[in-house]
Amino acid sequence: MTLTLDRRRPGQADAEAPAQRAPRYRAQPEKIAAGLTLLALVVASVLSLISVDISLPRMTASWENAARFFDRVGVISFPAPGELLYLTALTVGLVLLGTLFAAFFSVPLAWLAAANTSPGRGWMGLARFLGVLARSVPDVVLAMVFVLMFSLGTLPGILAIGIHSIGMISKMFADAIEQIDEGPRLAIRAAGGSRSQEFFAGVLPQVLPSWVATVLHRNDINLRGSVILGYVGVAGLGLEMSYAFKSLNYSLGLGIALVIFALCVVMEIVSSAVRVVMLGQAPTGRGLGDRLLRRLGVTGVTADASHRPWTYARVRNAVWGMLFVLIVVGSVWICDINWGDFLTVWSYLPETAAKFWPPSFGSYTAPVMLAAMGETIAIALAATILTIVASIVVGSLAARNVAPSRRVRSGMRLVLVAIRGIPEIILAIVLIVVTGLGAQAGTIALAIGGIGLLGKLLADSLEEVKPGPEQALTAAGATRLQVYAGATVPQGMKALVGHSFYMLDTNIRAATILGLVGGGGVGYYLLNAGQGSRYDLVTTIVLMILVSVLLVEGLAVWMRRVFR
Amino acid sequence: MPGLTKPLQPPTGSALAAEPVITVRGVTKTFGETTALKNASLTVARGEIVVLLGLSGSGKSTLLRHLDGLDRPDTGTVTVLGATVSRLTGRPLRALRGRVGFVFQQFELVGPLTVLENVLTGALFRVRGPRLGLWGYRRELKLAALGHLERVGLLAHAYQRADTLSGGQQQRVGIARALMQNPDILLADEPVASLDPESSAQVMALIREIAIDSDLTVVCSLHQVDLALSWGDRIVGLRHGEVVLDTSTQGLSKQNVMEIYGRVTTSTGELDAIETEIGTVEQNEPEEPVEPDEPDEQDELDLQTFASARDNRR
Repeated sequence: MTLTLDRRRPGQADAEAPAQRAPRYRAQPEKIAAGLTLLALVVASVLSLISVDISLPRMTASWENAARFFDRVGVISFPAPGELLYLTALTVGLVLLGTLFAAFFSVPLAWLAAANTSPGRGWMGLARFLGVLARSVPDVVLAMVFVLMFSLGTLPGILAIGIHSIGMISKMFADAIEQIDEGPRLAIRAAGGSRSQEFFAGVLPQVLPSWVATVLHRNDINLRGSVILGYVGVAGLGLEMSYAFKSLNYSLGLGIALVIFALCVVMEIVSSAVRVVMLGQAPTGRGLGDRLLRRLGVTGVTADASHRPWTYARVRNAVWGMLFVLIVVGSVWICDINWGDFLTVWSYLPETAAKFWPPSFGSYTAPVMLAAMGETIAIALAATILTIVASIVVGSLAARNVAPSRRVRSGMRLVLVAIRGIPEIILAIVLIVVTGLGAQAGTIALAIGGIGLLGKLLADSLEEVKPGPEQALTAAGATRLQVYAGATVPQGMKALVGHSFYMLDTNIRAATILGLVGGGGVGYYLLNAGQGSRYDLVTTIVLMILVSVLLVEGLAVWMRRVFR
Repeated sequence: MPGLTKPLQPPTGSALAAEPVITVRGVTKTFGETTALKNASLTVARGEIVVLLGLSGSGKSTLLRHLDGLDRPDTGTVTVLGATVSRLTGRPLRALRGRVGFVFQQFELVGPLTVLENVLTGALFRVRGPRLGLWGYRRELKLAALGHLERVGLLAHAYQRADTLSGGQQQRVGIARALMQNPDILLADEPVASLDPESSAQVMALIREIAIDSDLTVVCSLHQVDLALSWGDRIVGLRHGEVVLDTSTQGLSKQNVMEIYGRVTTSTGELDAIETEIGTVEQNEPEEPVEPDEPDEQDELDLQTFASARDNRR
């Protein structure tokens, strides 16, 4: 035994002894099963990568395609300025109203779904089920249905975005409620407050920052997703773009794609600015609003103790608040909602429902449809594994406690923001149009888009691990890499597994939607069925997607439980 | 008592005859506005068991962190085991840290890992490259780790997750991890401040026993005078980052310590504070350079982190 342990502890002659007395390491059967499932998923993902045929020669070949393509397209063109402005405002307004619709209805749903506020287990189950249902049905499918039921215009889009978003927003609202400090609520109850008083005074103030962040985040997602709604007839930039590509006017199509990309980046910047303004605990007093107010000569004046003084912060918040109301009113105005539809829609309801039921495979056979669904899942798996590998590198380097220097961290964070700004559907459309590759282009688009999300989630999770153990390892003389592997990764592992399954879940739905624009898989059939009025087939496809997503969700719940 | 009238004088006795393993000379350290250490000096001989005594914020933790190179002095020098800590970087620094075990107030175990893996992380400075899981460590390292676990009485828990243990047990794992380094010096920063009285007694007894068995030099910060008197060989008192007391515990009574604090205390408010502190048996006191007690709960997923505005505030 080379170790100095024996020298230090003369009483312990035989170093083997404690090993014999130690309990045997027993892996729990459930852990083994979960590990094998994970392994199987990884193998399936690698096989999917091979089946989607992502390889360097293929990519260089498509690069040459791209060069030829751009030679043909020539100059990128845009719609007329007035029209462009209108379309942009319409798209933003529609998305904003959809998100607000979802936020409004998510509040009661979240209250029912959160374990600590729910009036009963039955209500909780129902609310959670509704949330999962809303999340599982792609907004494109909802838009298809609503386009049938409502007159053309913005309402189908608003409702599709709204109802689909309820799924995610209500879940995150409920999570926020479950994480509150119960003390204040208890204090209000102890003081004789009613249930609603408890909610508005005890719960709401605590969850509001998190809720605002959720809504802003969802709004960004919805803006990026709104493009695809154009393909099923919802007004806005997406519709114009789909028209342009369908009429082979590539220069206009690419121009609109560029506009959407710019819009998404701007929205990302605006929403992060709003987050800082609304959620920053200490206002800096150096923001745009503050400077404006100072120039106008508004200062903090205290007049009467019974009124809250109009301080900088209050004036600024009031101004921002009014601006927000104006934007919402403007959105309603520009969307030109046909309110009468809400009365007439009910008469169409039975008729529409009858079109979608019972589900059938239509003119296709079951194996064809299952193979198409399989291809969608393969695209999702291949994209997810690529995303995970890239995100572990980028996300780790973007975490403050892992990055070797501040500069590396900021650089990586910038990369992540830039990637998040690109709507993956635009990336996919451009890749498909440009390189002419179906499943391959879709996979690459999803994989790149995923890095923006997973990389950020991972970086945040790594930054949130307890710093103490990392420091303990440093104190024991470990290198940076050893600290990363020994303290940071084990603490962040659970989050990585959870985020990865969330990514897979997102990717299955996204892969379906990519099919609509020619990215391969079941989405192609979905679009055809919708346009060919084969709504029973639409139902079948939606059910297949639902089953896949629920399967992944179930797996994720199981994994999170096993790998606590 | 001659030693007490001049508190700044080093202690007399046999300890001084031995070679010094820790020498701190005139170290000053500031964090922004606050001065954590003010011209602090300290010499510790091999095999000594020294208690750093002081209120929260008196600079105990900062001094300990300087000894392991976790903090660097603004001025002054820190020499540990013959090396000038403040000048070391990279591999020599890690090699020195390997010879100095550190026990933390909040244990700082990697919660999701097993107890055995946590102990093995104490051997990281001896291996090259990162380690994921148990299979990354050589068999003799694993046997040694099991031996240390038996020493702290936790062999039966070797394959249990670290965060399923009680506080006292976790601290014993922390001690085993430090022992895994085969250290020459053991530093302990308020090792029992987060524990109940019974676990405290166990842990303190264990540290002393191991120190004597393995001939370790120990520097341990505490804030309870009673415990410091009964446990240490020598007491170094800190106040506002200055060393105000340095004496052997032999023949020293609580009354003496109180007198010394009384003599150097300028305002009666501070005196009250000290009395309150001394009267407190157990108190959880975070010191400013050390992170406050983080809530253990690592939120399970997911979307929530995404929504968290924290990132945007950075």
